[in-house]
Amino acid sequence: MDDFSQVRKEAARILSEKIVDMVIGFKQGTIPLKSQPMFITSQEDTDKLILDGFCQNNLAVFLHDQPKDKRIGIICRACESRAVRALVIEHQVNRENLYLIGVPCMGILDWKKIQDAADGPVTNAQESGDQILLEIGDKKQVLIRNEFIVDSCRGCGHREPIDVDIQIGEISPIEMNADNLPQTWGESFKSKSADERFQLFTEETERCIRCYACREACPMCYCTECFVDHIAPRWSESMVTPGGTQAWHIIRAFHQTGRCVECGACERACPMDIKMVYLTDKLNDDMKKEYGFEVGENEEKQPPFATITLDDKNRFKY
Amino acid sequence: MSHTPKIVLFQCQYCLASSADQEWVENSLPENVKLVKVPCSGRISPLFIMNAFQKGADGVLVSGCMPEKCHYITSNLGARRQLDEFKKFLVFLGLEPARFEFLWMNIDERGVIQNELDAFTSNVKQLGPNKKFNTMKDEIIGQYHG
Ligand code: SF4
Ligand code: SF4
Ligand code: SF4
Repeated sequence: MDDFSQVRKEAARILSEKIVDMVIGFKQGTIPLKSQPMFITSQEDTDKLILDGFCQNNLAVFLHDQPKDKRIGIICRACESRAVRALVIEHQVNRENLYLIGVPCMGILDWKKIQDAADGPVTNAQESGDQILLEIGDKKQVLIRNEFIVDSCRGCGHREPIDVDIQIGEISPIEMNADNLPQTWGESFKSKSADERFQLFTEETERCIRCYACREACPMCYCTECFVDHIAPRWSESMVTPGGTQAWHIIRAFHQTGRCVECGACERACPMDIKMVYLTDKLNDDMKKEYGFEVGENEEKQPPFATITLDDKNRFKY
Repeated sequence: MSHTPKIVLFQCQYCLASSADQEWVENSLPENVKLVKVPCSGRISPLFIMNAFQKGADGVLVSGCMPEKCHYITSNLGARRQLDEFKKFLVFLGLEPARFEFLWMNIDERGVIQNELDAFTSNVKQLGPNKKFNTMKDEIIGQYHG
């Protein structure tokens, strides 16, 4: 967004007026292409706040580590605001202790793809309108921004932050010009045969090293003890084996059914570049089709799997 | 060589009203069928289904009570929300749909489970062995348990 100073001012105001004890946002990273989450408790530090396409995390994930009664300000793109609402519905946060500063999002950039497209190790990267300006040592290179937006942000249907305390900046449309772009992984996966789908899924999951970065990055994976960490009984194989990685990917995604906010933080966190957003997207699509449920759209409605009702009596045949 | 499919039957303890049927399930199931009796179909987690396929089941059949006949009122429907979607998800990942089916038993009926199990088994037999999700078939159950 062009003028971020208003966001910094608002962050400084809520800290100085003691409306919150901490503000969560992003600052410039120590290496190019990677902005860094930042936890601000003193007003002076609000100058460091930034927001760009290199802000990979979903900031709502950091609410898990904070006491429920701590008053926290959080810079919210649409995905962060939706995650907060989903966490409110699941009684994980107290909405009244949070102060959401809504900001526009222009789509998150795939830093690995940018580095691959660059003529050498990137030493500096800036966004400028629909371009990405790279410095590679003394050399300069310009990339078209649209071509590097991550899959989960392409075709994003909910760019408006919801239920914020203040909205700063206007949401402008992203000109995706998607015709020129190759299909997303999810689109091409759907068009394949059953055997091909299995093959693709297996090739992806086989690379998994079970580091759980995907889980740690996910605002909706907040279980005190994840099913894969449970020792007795062991619910599923915890080793890096074909069975272990297969079960991990299937069950992790399934736990997100009707809960995933489609932010893509899991996929971006993966050191092995494993595709996984297409899994949760499929599950969420089904919840929409079957139960008319969309994550974050409603303030009260519980996710379909948390709703058990006799109204379902004619829904299922055998 | 003809293949005898391995079947896992998850059965809700209340779904068979006739004691003859229940006795048959408990004592006379064909050798290729393993019974997992549960207090209610609501007890069945998708992970159980996953484990059955991974350990080498060629087919999984879930038998529970009809809607409105659940001993715990709505738990069969709660299970179905999840298991139905879990089936769709596995099919999305390449599972043959006939390998995972549901039965809603009506307590007025007798001798249905035998026929249903037969029909299910022969459908699964046509598909041959489950080669996609049997990723842990060689594990000895209990061995890797920490
Ligand atoms: S599963 Fe991935 S896309 Fe969904 S909420 Fe979690 S991090 Fe975001
Ligand atoms: S994968 Fe499932 S059990 Fe593990 S943290 Fe996420 S939601 Fe919880
Ligand atoms: S982040 Fe990637 S490698 Fe790590 S557990 Fe998740 S999928 Fe596997």
